[in-house]
Amino acid sequence: MILALPIQAVPTSPLISTLLLDLALLSLLVIVAFAIVRMRSLFAIVMLQGVFSLVAAAWFVTLDAVDVAFTEAAVGAGVSTVLMLAAILLAQRRTSYVPMKQQWGPLVAVLVAGAALLYAVPDLPAYGDADSPANAYVGTDYLARTAVEVDIPNVVTAVLASYRGYDTFGEVVVIFAAGLGVLLLLGFDGLAGTFRARVMGRRLSDPSAPSGVRKRDAGTEVVPRESDASGEGAT
Amino acid sequence: MSWLFEHGVAFAIVLPLLMAAAVAMLPRSRYLAWTVALAVVTAVTIAAIAVLLTQADAGEIVYRMGGWEPPYGISLRIDAVNAPILLLIAAMALASFLYAEPAVAAEIAPERRGPFYAALLLCVAGLMGMVVTGDAFNVFVFLEVSSISTYTLVAMGANRDRRALSAAFNYLILGSIGATFFVIGVGFLYAETGTLNMEDMRTILAAMEGGSRVSQVAFGFIVVGLGLKLALFPLHTWLPGAYAYSPTVVTAFLASTATKAALYLLYRFCFTVFDPSFDYVAVVLGYVVTGLAVTGMIFASLQAFFQTDVRRTLAFSSVAQVGYMLLGIGILTTAGLAGSYLHLINHAVIKGGLFLALGAMWYRFGITRTADLAGISKTMPVTTAAFTVLAFSLIGVPFTAGFVSKVALAEAAAERGWWWAVGVIMITSILALFYMGRIMMVAYFSDPPASCRRADGTVERREAPALMLIPMVGLAAVSVLIGMRGNVVLTHVSETAAQVLIPGAGL
Amino acid sequence: MNGDPHVLLRVIAKFLIPLIALFAFYVQFHGEYGPGGGFQAGVILSASVILYSLIFGLNAAKRAFPPVLIRIGMSLGVLLYGGTGVLTWIQGGEFLNYSVLAHDAIHGQHWGIIAVELGVFATVTSVMLAIFYAFGSRQPSIEDQDW
Repeated sequence: MILALPIQAVPTSPLISTLLLDLALLSLLVIVAFAIVRMRSLFAIVMLQGVFSLVAAAWFVTLDAVDVAFTEAAVGAGVSTVLMLAAILLAQRRTSYVPMKQQWGPLVAVLVAGAALLYAVPDLPAYGDADSPANAYVGTDYLARTAVEVDIPNVVTAVLASYRGYDTFGEVVVIFAAGLGVLLLLGFDGLAGTFRARVMGRRLSDPSAPSGVRKRDAGTEVVPRESDASGEGAT
Repeated sequence: MSWLFEHGVAFAIVLPLLMAAAVAMLPRSRYLAWTVALAVVTAVTIAAIAVLLTQADAGEIVYRMGGWEPPYGISLRIDAVNAPILLLIAAMALASFLYAEPAVAAEIAPERRGPFYAALLLCVAGLMGMVVTGDAFNVFVFLEVSSISTYTLVAMGANRDRRALSAAFNYLILGSIGATFFVIGVGFLYAETGTLNMEDMRTILAAMEGGSRVSQVAFGFIVVGLGLKLALFPLHTWLPGAYAYSPTVVTAFLASTATKAALYLLYRFCFTVFDPSFDYVAVVLGYVVTGLAVTGMIFASLQAFFQTDVRRTLAFSSVAQVGYMLLGIGILTTAGLAGSYLHLINHAVIKGGLFLALGAMWYRFGITRTADLAGISKTMPVTTAAFTVLAFSLIGVPFTAGFVSKVALAEAAAERGWWWAVGVIMITSILALFYMGRIMMVAYFSDPPASCRRADGTVERREAPALMLIPMVGLAAVSVLIGMRGNVVLTHVSETAAQVLIPGAGL
Repeated sequence: MNGDPHVLLRVIAKFLIPLIALFAFYVQFHGEYGPGGGFQAGVILSASVILYSLIFGLNAAKRAFPPVLIRIGMSLGVLLYGGTGVLTWIQGGEFLNYSVLAHDAIHGQHWGIIAVELGVFATVTSVMLAIFYAFGSRQPSIEDQDW
C-alpha cells in the first residue's frame, strides 16, 4: 500500500539479538502461512491472516520501518480482518475440498517464482548494507534534502506527501476506486443484482445465464443450444 | 492555450481522476453524468492532441510532478513512443463514451449510472497514467487504478449475463497476480539501481552492462506480470470471459486500449529500461516471447473458429492479434518493432469498432451467438456494413488498416530471415478469414427470423441509434483511411517510435 | 431487562470508542513528527465506527455515520487532494508543487502536506466504512453464533 523506503541507514553489522529476532519472526511468518494453506475453516483463515499481518508488522519494526509497520498493523491486522469477517457472513464458512490434481499448476508456478527469487539472492546487497544502491542513492539524499526543502521531522511523510505526492494521489484514487466498486456492485440500498439489462428492440438470443441456475428457474422456455462454455476449459 | 501546452500531460490524467470523484456524487439523472463524462473525455482528447503537438515540436517532454526534479520526484515523460498511444487511448475513450449513452441506459440500473461513468473515467485515467509516466513505481499505481476500476466494470455486465461475475473474479485474481509480479520486479530493480525513475534505471543498468542476477530476475517478473495484463498466450485465460460478458461499452473500450497500454509498458521495459543488448533480454524476447506469441497466434485463431458466441470469437481473435504485436517485438529489429507498433494502433481501432458494432447488435436484438446474426444485414444495414469493413481490416484485406500492419510485420520477419514467421502470419490471416467469414456468411446469406418481418413479409429495419452509429462508422472509416492513405502518416509515426526504442537498426 | 449478555462489552466499548477516535486524530495530525498520517488515521477512525457497529448494531452506526456522508466523503477526499494540486496550478506551479502555496516555499510545503493528508484521511475513512456497510447491509444483524 505504501512505498517502503529503507531510509534509515542500518548499522553494517546488525546486533546478534535483532538477527535472532528477525529469524524468529520470519519463521513464524512461514509457519502461519503454511497453516493458512492447510486450513479449511474460513474463520480460522481470516484470524490467521490477522496474525500474519501482526507478525509482519513486528518484523517491520525490527527493520526500522515504523510507518510501514503501523500501516500493516492498522490495515492488515485491524480493518481487513473485520472486513473479511463481514464478507464471510455472506458466504460459506468452510472452503470446499480442492483435489490435488487441480493444484499442480499453482504449485509449479509458486515453485518457479520461489526458485527465481532464490536465484537472485546471492547478488542482493547484504542485509543492512549502508552502501547498497537502495540505501546510498536516492534514499540517503531524501534524508539530507527533507530538512532543507520540506522541513518536517518525519522523512517518510515528506516522501509520501510531497516528493512522491503524485503516487499517493494515485493511491487515494485506488482506494476510491475500491469504494466505488463496492458501491456499484453491492450498494447500501439492497437493490444490487435486481436490475436486468433490457434489449431496446426485439430479443433474438435467449437470455443467457449460467445453464444450471437458468434451467431450474425458467423451466421449459429455454431451448438448450450448443454449449456457450466451449473453450472455457482452459480457464 | 499555452498553459495547456505546458501542463497538458498532467491535465489529461488529473482531470478525469478529479471528475470521476465529482461524477460519483452527481444526483440520479439520465443525461447529467453522461454529459459531464463526455465533456471530460473531450477535454482529455484535446489535451492529448496538445501533448502530441508539443512532443512533435520538442521531441521530448518531461513534466515534473510537484516541481521536484527526477529521480527525487515523479516525472511524466513523453516521447515519440507514448504520445501517439496517449492520443489513441483518449480517442478510443471518446468513441466509447459517445456510444455509452444508449448502451448504459439499456444495461446499467438508473441509480448506478453516475458511479458507472465515474469508474469508466477512472479506467481511462489509469490507462493514460500508465502510459505517460516516467517512473516505474508510478506505473504500478496507475496499473492498479485502471485494474480495480476494470474489475468492477466487468462485473457490472452481470445485469446482462451472470457469468460476468465469475469472469470478473477470474480477472481479479489473475490481474492481481500480474500486478504483484510486476511490483516484485520493480522492487528488485530498486534494490539493484536505487532509483525508481526509468531513465535513471536505464543509465545505471547500461553502466552495469545489464546488472547482476537481481536485474535478470526483475526482468523475468516484469515480463510475466505485464504478460498477464496484455494476455500473452498461456496467461490469456482471463480475457475471453472478461470481453464476452462485460457491458458492451466496457468491452469496446477495454479491447481497444487495456492490452495496448500493457504492451506499451512491455516496449518501455524491454527497450528503454532494459536493453536487448543484454543477453537475458535478447533470449527472453527472441525465444520465449516469440515462441509464445506464435503458439498463441495459431492456437487462439483456432479457438476463435470454434466459438459459438461472437463475442468470444472476437476475444480469442484479440489474443491472436496480441501475438502479432509480440512477434514484432521478438524480431528485435527497428522494422519489426515499427510493424508491432503499427499493428497496435490499427488493432485498437479495428477491435474497438467491431465490439461497438456488436454492442449495437445486442442493443437492438440481444444478439450474442453467431447463429442469431441471421439476416442482420437486412435489419441493421449500416451497423453490419461497419462491422464488415472492420472485419475485412482484421483479416488483412488490401486497402484496409490490417493489411498495412500485417505486411509491415511480414516484411520485417522476412528481412530477419524468419520465413516461418511469414508463414504463420499467412496461416493465421487465413484462419481469420474463416472465423470472420463464418460470421459474415450468417449475417448476409441467412434470412432474418420471422419475428423481424412485418405482416406483409418485408423485413423491418431497426438500425442502432445515431450515438452508436457515429463512433462505429467513424472507426470503420479510419481503418479504411489508414489502409488507403493514412499509412504514410502512421508508418512514419511507428518508425519514429521504433527508432526511439531501438536506436539504429537493431539486430 | 437484565438479560443482556453483553453489558460489560457495551460499557467498556462506550469508554474505548471515543479514545480510539481521538487516537485517530492524534495519528493524523502528528504524522509529520512521528509515524502515521492520513492512511493510518483513516483506518483507525473507521475501526472505531466498525467497533461501535459490532456492539451497538449496524443501524446505530448508520445513524452516527450516515451512508450519504460516506458517499460524499469518498469523493471529497479525492477532490481535496486533487484540488490542492489544482490550487498549485492556479498559483502557477506544477501539479502538487506545494511551494507556490505560500510566500515561503517551506510554509507552502507544510500547508500542502496538511491538505493532502486530510484528503487521504477522508477517502480512507469513508471507503473502509463503505465496504463494511455494504457487506453488513446484506445481513440483517450479526448473530452471536456467527462469531
